[in-house]
This record gives sequence, C-alpha cells and structure tokens, in this order.
Amino acid sequence: MLADLMRGLATTFKAIFEKPVTIQYPEIKRPVRTRYKGRHILKRYENGLEKCIGCSLCAAACPADAIFVEAAENTDDERYSPGERYARVYEINLLRCIFCGYCEDACPTEAIVLGDNYELSFTDRRSSIYTKEMLLEPVPEGGKPTPQKTPPGMYTRAIPEMKDPV
Amino acid sequence: MFEPVLTRNIHRPNSEKIYTYLAHGGYEAVRLALKKSPEELIDMVKRSGLRGRGGAGFPAGKKWEYMPKDPRIPKIVAVNTDEGEPGTFKDRELVERDPHQVIEGVIIASYTVGARRAYVYIRGEFFLGVKRWIKAIADAYEHGFLGKNILGSGFDLEMSVHRGAGAYICGEETAMLESLEGKPGNPRLKPPYPAQVGLFGLPTLVHNIETLACIPHIILRGPEWFASIGTAESKGPKIFSVSGHVNKPGNYELPLGTTLREIIYEHAGGIRGGKKLKAVIPGGASTPVLTAEHLDVPMAFETLAAVGSQLGTGAIIVMDETTCMVEVARRLTKFFAHESCGRCVPCRLGSRRLYEILERIECGQGKPADLNLALELAQGIDGTTFCPMGSALVNPARSTIKQFREEYEYHLTYKRCLAGNTHSG
Amino acid sequence: MTNKMITLTIDGIQVTVPEGTNIVDAAKKAGIDIPVFCYHPKMKPVGMCRMCLVEVGRPVVDRNTGEFVRNEDGSLKIQFNPKLETGCTTLVSEGMVVINTSDKVKRGRKDILEFLLTSHPLDCPICDKGGECPLQNLTMAHGPGTSRFLFDEKKHLLKHYPLGELIYLDQERCIQCGRCIRFQEELVDDPVIGFSQRGRSLQIVTFSEPGFDSIFSGNTTDICPVGALTTADFRFGARPWELNAAASICQQCAVGCNLTLNVRREAAAGGKVVIKRVMPRQNEWVNEIWICDKGRFGYHYTEAPERLTQPLIRKEGELVPVSWEEALGFVAERFRQAGKGLLTLASGRLSNEDLFNLRKLSEGLGGKIALYTQMSGGEQVMQVGLAKESNLAELGQGDAILVIASDLHQEAPIWWLRVKQAAERGATLIVAHPRPTRLEKFAKHVLRYRYGDEAGLLLAMLNSLSAKRPALPERVSTLWRDDQVQAAAKAFAEAQNAVIFFGNEGVGLQASQALAQACLNLLLATNHAGRPNNGLIPVWQRPNDQGAWELGWRPLPNLDEAISQANAIYVVACDPAGDNPTLPLTPDFLVVQDLFLTATAKLAHVVLPALPFTEREGSLVNGERRVQRYYPAVPPRPSARADFTITGQLGKLLGIDLEDRLASKVMLRIAAEVPAFSGITYTALAYAPEQWPIIGREDLYYGGTTYENKQGIGVQLPNALQQGEQVTLTWPSLAQATEINGGLLAVPVTKLYDSGSTLVHSKLLDQRRVAAVLWIHPDEAAAHAVQEGDLVHLQFGEASAMATAILDKTVPQGVILLPRSAGIPLLEPCAAQLKVVERSYER
Repeated sequence: MLADLMRGLATTFKAIFEKPVTIQYPEIKRPVRTRYKGRHILKRYENGLEKCIGCSLCAAACPADAIFVEAAENTDDERYSPGERYARVYEINLLRCIFCGYCEDACPTEAIVLGDNYELSFTDRRSSIYTKEMLLEPVPEGGKPTPQKTPPGMYTRAIPEMKDPV
Repeated sequence: MFEPVLTRNIHRPNSEKIYTYLAHGGYEAVRLALKKSPEELIDMVKRSGLRGRGGAGFPAGKKWEYMPKDPRIPKIVAVNTDEGEPGTFKDRELVERDPHQVIEGVIIASYTVGARRAYVYIRGEFFLGVKRWIKAIADAYEHGFLGKNILGSGFDLEMSVHRGAGAYICGEETAMLESLEGKPGNPRLKPPYPAQVGLFGLPTLVHNIETLACIPHIILRGPEWFASIGTAESKGPKIFSVSGHVNKPGNYELPLGTTLREIIYEHAGGIRGGKKLKAVIPGGASTPVLTAEHLDVPMAFETLAAVGSQLGTGAIIVMDETTCMVEVARRLTKFFAHESCGRCVPCRLGSRRLYEILERIECGQGKPADLNLALELAQGIDGTTFCPMGSALVNPARSTIKQFREEYEYHLTYKRCLAGNTHSG
Repeated sequence: MTNKMITLTIDGIQVTVPEGTNIVDAAKKAGIDIPVFCYHPKMKPVGMCRMCLVEVGRPVVDRNTGEFVRNEDGSLKIQFNPKLETGCTTLVSEGMVVINTSDKVKRGRKDILEFLLTSHPLDCPICDKGGECPLQNLTMAHGPGTSRFLFDEKKHLLKHYPLGELIYLDQERCIQCGRCIRFQEELVDDPVIGFSQRGRSLQIVTFSEPGFDSIFSGNTTDICPVGALTTADFRFGARPWELNAAASICQQCAVGCNLTLNVRREAAAGGKVVIKRVMPRQNEWVNEIWICDKGRFGYHYTEAPERLTQPLIRKEGELVPVSWEEALGFVAERFRQAGKGLLTLASGRLSNEDLFNLRKLSEGLGGKIALYTQMSGGEQVMQVGLAKESNLAELGQGDAILVIASDLHQEAPIWWLRVKQAAERGATLIVAHPRPTRLEKFAKHVLRYRYGDEAGLLLAMLNSLSAKRPALPERVSTLWRDDQVQAAAKAFAEAQNAVIFFGNEGVGLQASQALAQACLNLLLATNHAGRPNNGLIPVWQRPNDQGAWELGWRPLPNLDEAISQANAIYVVACDPAGDNPTLPLTPDFLVVQDLFLTATAKLAHVVLPALPFTEREGSLVNGERRVQRYYPAVPPRPSARADFTITGQLGKLLGIDLEDRLASKVMLRIAAEVPAFSGITYTALAYAPEQWPIIGREDLYYGGTTYENKQGIGVQLPNALQQGEQVTLTWPSLAQATEINGGLLAVPVTKLYDSGSTLVHSKLLDQRRVAAVLWIHPDEAAAHAVQEGDLVHLQFGEASAMATAILDKTVPQGVILLPRSAGIPLLEPCAAQLKVVERSYER
C-alpha cells in the first residue's frame, strides 16, 4: 500500500519538472492546423473586387441551412464582383453552421474559405448572424474597396477563365 | 468528236441576242411542244432519262409527274440560277451566253405542268447574268414567246427575274423559295415537297437551268437521241466546269460518262506546268475528293457514287502535287461555315468547330487527337442536319483525311506542310 | 382532325395515338422522354435543334398488294431508315417502330449537346435558369461528361442586351432554337422579334419600337430552354430551388388565369417573405400555359409600402390609427344605428366569400347592397352564360364566336389569344366594334356600328335571319337589314356551337343591360345556349364581377340617389370618389375597407385595412363562370385582415351569424344557399385532373417552366338552362343617342396598362402605361381646332379633365376615346366639350 502511494507521489514529482501543457488562452493562442475549418472568409481579387458572385450554391450545399444569399446586378459604375451578379446580401448564421466546408466545395469562384478564427461566441442569437461586411476580407494592398467604378467591357466574366482540361 | 448541244451557240458573236438564237433554230421546240399534250411531253422527258443538273440528279420526268394535275390549282415554275457551289460556273455561262435556250425550256416545262407563272432566281453577284436574263425575257415577250396566248396556243406565261442576296444555301430549292418569298433563305421542312407546297404555298416545279436547257433539245431531236448519249443511268450531255491546276480551265460540254482523264488531259489541256495530278474534286466543293487513281472513273451519277463521291454539278477542281490538302479542306470548310444558315445545331456550330480544328492543324498547332476528333465531328454532322448541307460540308474534310491522311499527320508531327507550302494564314 | 387512331411501338412499348401526332408527343403520352429544345407542344415543329433524332422503322408494304410484308414468324417486316429522323417533325404511321435508346441515338444526342456546349457559356452559377434549365438537365442526362473542344474558342457576345425594358437577352446563352420568335409569330401574332444574320452569327433582335412590344412577352422566358431570356422583374432575383410556390388566380381581368406565385424571404424587404415572380400555372380550360404581362408584372401593388396597415378612425378631423377592437366596435355600433339606412357598396375585386359575408351582414341589418360596376348583364350570363363543361379550346371548324363591344386584346389578352386560336382552327369569328381592333385580322365577318347601336346590331342580326327567327316585336322587326349583317347572322345561326363575348366599350350601365339581353336573345333564338361550348361570356373589368352577380349583387341604376339617401355607407374594394370626384359622398357615417388610402377612404370616418389576394385565400368566378380558388402565398401583414374576416367579425358584434375564420367554411354556406354553387367545396375546386400537354414536371425541356396544376382547375357553374330553368326572350328597349350639344361623344376605352390602383405600383410598366390622352379622328380634330399633342380641357357634365390629343384615323367620327383608369374621371359614355388649353409646338 505504501509502495503504491510512493509510486503515485513519484509520478507527481516527475510532473513538477515537466513543461506545462496548459496555454494561457487568450493571452497565448496556439496556431491551428493548415486545414483547420474556422469562421468563413469571403475572398477578394487583388484589385479588391469580391470573388463572390452571389450564385447561392453555398447555400444550396449547406446541410445546416446556415447561409442566406441575395443577389443583385453589377453595373460598371457600381461593381462589386466581375460579371453580372454579386451578392447584395450574404449572411451566415454561425450558430447553425457545422463547419463541414461544403460551401467551400460548392463555390465556383473559390470565394468562400473556412478560415482559422474559432473565437465565436455570442450573447444573443441575432449576433450569431455574420453579414457580408463581417465576412469579407480586407481590401488587399493596391486594391480598391467595392463598389468600384470600372471601365466598360473589362469585367464581363463572372467565373474566372478555366484551363483547358485536355 | 462530241458535238456540243447546250453550248452549241455560245461561241457565236452576240449569242445572247434573240435574233442569233432564232437564226439557229431557236424557239422551234416551243412551237412543236405547244402542239403536244402535257402527257406526251412528260413521257418524252421520262424516256429521255434526263436527270437534274443542279447536284442531286433527280429524274426530271418524275418531278414533272409529281406536279398536281388539277388545272384549277395555280402552279409555278421556279428557275434556279443561284450558282454558288465553288468550282461551278456552267449556269453563269448559259445565262450570259444563251439565255433563250433556257427560256425555251421554261416555256415547255410550264406548259407541261400547267404553270402560268415562272420566277427566275439568280445569284445576286451575277451582274451580267441579271442583265442578260432581263433583256432575254423582255425580248421573248416582244416576240410573243412569253405573255398572253403564246404563239396562238392559248397558253399564258409570265416570267420575271429575282436577284438573290448572296447566300449559298439559297441554291437549295426550298431555301430559294423562301428567299423568293422575301424571307431569309432558310431551308424548309420536307415533306411537303415543292411539288405540293412550294412558292407562296402553291405547287412549284424547281429546276436548275442546265436541266431546263436540255428540254428543247429533247423535244426537237427526240428522247431516244438524248438517251443515246451517256451511260446507263446518266443520259445526255453535261457541261463540266474544269478549274484548278489545268492548262485550259473552262466549261466543256461532253457526254455524261466521259472519264476524268479524258476531260482533264484531252480537253482541259492537262496539268499546268506538267506537274503530277494529286487530287480532283469531281462535282463541286461539296463532293468528296478523288485521287489520281480514280482518273479512269467515268463522270456519271452511278460511277462516281460507286467510288464514294458524287457527280454534283459536274464542277471538276483539279489540284496538282504542290497543293496542301489540309489547306484545301480548311478553306472549303471555312466557306461552308460561313454559308451555314444557322438554323440547325450541327451545321451552325459543327461547321465552325470543324473549321477551327482544320485551321489548328494547318497552322501547326494541332494535337494528335484532332484528326479523330475531326472525323467524329464529321460523323456527328453528316445526316443529322436539317438540309443536305450538313452532309455536304463534311465532305472536304472527311474525304481529304481519308485519302491524304499522311499529309495531316505530317502537319501534326512536323508542324509544317508535306506539300511544301508555307501557310501564311 | 380525324379520329383515326394509329398504333406504333416506341422502345418496345405499344402506343396508340390519334393520326397526325408526332413521335415526340406520342412518346410523351407513353411516358417516354425524347429530349427536345426547339420543339414545343403548343407550336408547330421546325426540326431545328436536332435533339429529338430517333431511329425510325416502318413496315414494308408490298407494292402489288398494298399490304404489309410479314416475316416468317408472322411479325411485320420493318425497314429502318439508315439516317436518324427528327421525332418532332415525323408523324406517326401505322406499325411504325421507334427506337429511342440505341447507341446511334445516344451518340446523336451527345453530339448535339457537345455542339451546343461549345458555344454556351459556363454561366450556370449566375444564370437565372440554373436549376430549372432544360439544357442543364439534358446535358446531365444525355451529354458528354467532358468537352473535346477548347473553352477559349467560345464566342463572347453581349450578356446584357435589353430586347425591351421588360425582357433581357443574353446573346451568349441563346441556342437559337427560335421558340420565342415562333411564339411571337405563331401564337400571339406579335412578330416583333426575329433572327438577324446567319450561321454562327445568328442572333435574336427586336424590330419594334419600343423594344419587344408585345403584351405576352413574359411567356418567352418560360419557354426559353436556356437562360437567354430573362425578365427585368426577376433578373438575379433568386435561384429557382430557393423559391416556394403558391397557387393563385390572376386578379387583373375576368379571364382568371391560373398563376403560381414564387415567394422567398428577402433581406431587402426587412426579412419578409415576398413574391419574387409570377409564373403561369397550367389550366387548359382557362389560360393553357400562358399569361399576359399585366398578370406577370402587375402583382407589385400587393407589396406596396403605401398599403394600409392599421384601422383608422377619424378623430377631430384626422384619421388616426386605432386598435381593431375599437374600430370594429365603433363601426358595429354605428351600423346598428343606421339599420335600414346602411348601403354596402362593393366591387368584383372581392372574392365570393367576401361578397357573401358582406351581403349577409347587410341583409341582417336590413340595409341595401350595391355592386360597384359600370357594366351590367350578369343576370343574362347566369341564364345563358358559357355552359358547364365548356372549353374554348374545343371551338373550331363549324363553330362561331361573336365578339361585340370589346377590344379583347387590351381587355382580356388571354381570351384574345384563345379566340384567335379558335379562328385559326376554323371557327367563324365575327367581330363587331365601332373601331378596328386587333382581333379583326382573324375575323370572317367584321361589323361596324355606331357607339350606342350595340344591342340594335345584335337584334338586327336576329331580324335578318330567315330561319330560326322568333316572333319579333315591331321595334326589332323594323331594324335595318344589310348583306353584311345578314351574312354574319347566317354564319352565327348555322354554327354548331357559338359563343358571344360582350364588353362595355361605348355602353353605360343601362345600355350594357340591353346589350346582354340582345346577346341572350340571339343565343336563345339560334339555339346556342345551355349546351357545352355555347353561351355568353361577359368581358368584365374586375376578376369577380360574375361572382358578385351570382351571389345576388346588382348595380343600382341610380347610385347617386342611393348614396344621398343612405345614413351609413360601407364601401369595400372600390373607390367611387376617386372615379367620380363630383359624387356627393357625404353620408353620416362612411366606412371604407380597402388596401390603400383611396380618395374615398380619405373622406371616411373609419378605414379598415384589408388583405390582398396574395396573403389570404378565396375563390373567384371568371367570365366563363368557372369558380377558381386561390391560396395564400405570403404571410399576411400584421393588423390587416381579409375582407370576409372583417365582415364576419362585424357580424359577430352585431349578432349576425357569419363565418369569419375559414374561407372554405364560407364556401360551404354559399353552396348551401346559392343553387348554382351547390356541391362546390374547396376540395372540389382543388380537383386537378391530368392535362395534355404535360407541362412543368421533371421534363422542363418539353413545355417550359410553366407550373403543373396540382391545386385545382376549378369548377364551372351550370347556367339556368342547364339547371332546368326556363329562359324567355324579353326585348330590350334600344338606347337613344346621347345628347351631344355640339360637343363630342366621349367614350372610355380599356387599355391594358393603365394607372389603376392594382397596376400603378408596378414601376417597370411605367413606359408602357397609357397617359391621360384623348384619341380623335383628324377630321374631327380639325373641326374642333385640335392639333396633335395639344393639351385639351374636357368638360363632361360637372366633371372635367385635361388630356393630350392624339390624332388617330381609326377613331370614328363624332367621338373621342379616353383611356380608363388614367386620371380621367369618365366611367360611361357621355357628351364632352373640348377646349384647347395649351398648343403643342413640338412639330
């Protein structure tokens, strides 16, 4: 019995000199894995135009019905994304989201990406709905914010040119 | 030596004038025909074995017979002078040099089928042809061969000329009728055939002018004489338009069944510069190419069909050894892609895609899979289109790939031409 | 049409179809899909897309005996065409064998799809058709998985090409099937779009001014097999799979087209569920698969922000919001006090349930009811209206249709289309109208008469009959006779089946009564009543005028007098003060129940907010006397209530037993009380039989995106004759010519796009809306010193208006035409004095 006790204490003593595994969150944040699926980010092109074209395929793919998209038409005077269509409203209800990443797979323009932000807590249900402004990434350097005034005939393609598959 | 029939007058001075025509037995056939009954005339044409000269080779007598017999139904004769087939220039010569011969044929045909109205549809680019047609018709009216009570027979016929606006497809009979009605020249659904529902909804007899030019001679010299010329299934004389790398290009009127060799080497003076013959298109751009080994094939409907080509309009395009067959196919396909009316999918889009593939191969950017792709594409177009143009447009590409595959492969492998051409584009 | 049946085999299945059917339709009847792009079951086949290529074999016929050659085992010897044939242009023949699944056929389809896709953009994610696209679906079913062609060789064309302000064309997506062009040419006779260029450059263009000038243009977006044609209204509105659908009935005219309302929650509307688009719903007895643009784009009023949201009570001269309890309690109290002095004025914009409850409430109090309308004749329609079991689509060779005093093209477009089609099937069309209308082109007999002679003309027709002529009173037998009238009358009398459409152009309330009676007499005398496909169809201005008549509502011959005598007036779904500003609408107590704060509502003591048809359920009776049911599509706006509910709740307060919650229960009461409605329940109205052609199921390629009808085709009411009642001829007194006094006869005419309260909120129709104009004959204009473009002051009686003059040779002399619901307070024809106020110097 005493032997057992000693063995237990030995374990305890050994642990005293080990490096602690506890991380002082939120002061210290552990980096996430590259394929971690955190909060969504809506991407932009280098010139600042939004990649999202408001096609709603993410919403269709979403098994939790967490995404709501409402589209509208671009004009050259007020352009949000290349092509004719953009997302006027883009909302994700993060209380509903199960972070499966289907929206990423469904996106034809690689506009939606699951990022590494996992700090999602809300005090009421309404604030769990992230709007487009909250989801959009900042305008990259050298780019302009949307809506942009663009020359006519320049951004006619909604979906980026694809490589010849053959 | 064959004595020309249809072109017997064209070398005379002022051959297009009515007095020249009348001085050489003109309008005699009409006098004779107006005394006969329509049944007799149909029988004569049937016995003559005359087949349409516009490309399809449909028996003329049968066409006449298919026209409704009811005299209360107004009928129309439409004369097709929309000669758009690359390589063909026989109709043009006939119109410009001897239009009265055709008018005579029109009168007899109209009388036989009971039509009181004849329309001439002529290719818009034939400026001289239009002028000659108009003058000839006016002269015929003046001499009483057209208009009311022709030659006192009680038969009336009005005739006028309509200019096309330059579309190849309007050479197709139903597209021509659409165009005559003032609509875009798109082919119509068949059936009903023009013999039932044609121009303005009336039964219409549509003929190529060379066919019509044969009629007076059949009447004058008898169907037996006509049938004695030519082969078993292809009777009568035929104007062969010879073009390309020959010493003497031009129209040669010879009996059907004359061999290619005879036409090219005896009549057209052989290959230019003494070069070797490489390929021949026997019946206009839409017919499959033949090679030097087919030189002894008689130029007749049945014999050409036997070697996988067609008599078409009898337009012989001769190509010597310096010709790049890829270029030939590409150029001809470009023509068809440009002339597609756009009505049906395979022709509208297929022709364009076929052209793009050929262009790619010719420019040395082709991929090994392109040859089979082109063949499969051709397969997908042939026989699936609305009108015969689909089958026609794949012929240049398909036949040159079949006969000259090594040239295509050379283009694909070495990115340049086996025939030594530079292909500036 | 012959009734000969043909039996053929498609993919081993024996099919028997009528002679003249094509292979695609025959296969469809057997449940076999032959894919098509250009073919549409409502249009002639053209064989352009080559998608329906099938292998066709025909039995070999012995030329000597004329009989089929048989194999040794006794089966028919079949010879197959070496080429594939198009199923849409090939008609079935006896013993034919069609193979739809062979490798050859599959290859053909794959090739066609590959060709199409080489020129079709990969727009699916942003395309409005994506999700309900025939090209998408057929590519999934029959197409190649990958393309062997280069993507960058695709042709780049305009993606935003407005054909008009209503319809946009995406030139890249167009596959040149020509369905839209053929629809415009063949079906609706508006050849305003066509192909330009040829070959790969073939493009659709419009050649009308304004662009795509057709009142049926929206239908082309339904039948477009790709997303090339989109409506300005729905462009990028939502993806099809996100939409919910609710069955409804169009409320814009008396045709009663079946609709499907597509709804979705919208952030722009503050998270409310809103209507995204209006689609036709198949009903081969009413609108087939089409609707007009007014029905398609006119729904916006139901969502207008101007709608009333709360009950209002006038306090100290101002209308202030109050609670329902207060408003209803107040109204009930005042109605009780008014008792017999209550006048209830309602219009045919209401449903049967509303009208029934309103009548019951009024009767319970001993008050009067009056139908607010400018057209009479509903009683005659109840007697000899289009008989039960009728379908206008069955009229054809040997039948006759008479259209009088109505410009159907503008008043009831779908009826115009159906009448036109009947005429094209061989029916004798007689059009009687004082001025040329669009329908005349298809008429065998065109009868012109002077405004005011409508009934006289019909009686003159009757008078000119030699056979079937009843005993006529002297004032009829002395009416004029002429060859034209006689020929038309003869054609009408000799027709197997005959239908009369009557409108109210140029006739007032009384004259329309006479007109309806004359119609009845003509139908009865020629034995065209009480049988299916015979009878009278009124071209009402409102969707449920007929229902109001059926439920006992009648217009009052002297509305002004009734109004001035009433103590309390209950105005529901109409705006008498707006229509006629000189109306003395000053009773002790005025209640208005409506959607908007109308001119009448502004005078009211109490205003009660009602619900539009999209937010409630109900039923209507169309001009063909078909009772049809509509369903709620979007949630009701809070604190507005359905008309029958408001009335029912008032009834409760007044001790009158009314159903106030379920429309279906009101219908049960109607059925119990009104003989014509006997047996009609909401379940019966929801009966949806199989219809041909098959539309709107999985096979969108076949009929387009029109919705399948699963919610009911409605029930036609039997007319009095069919119910075994006697109908006797009575002879209307013929109208006297209106006193003109040196002016001109002002005639209100209906134009499709007006500024009425149920259309004015559809902003996208603004460019096509009729303005306050007057149409006048150039000679008449010269006589009155009026020039084109002049601003003219019009005085009719006490009312006056301003209108811009348009010179038009088709206007009869002595007449000016004025559009209804365009700001000119003219309800009935009357004398008008003209005075030019402002000269136009534009010319």
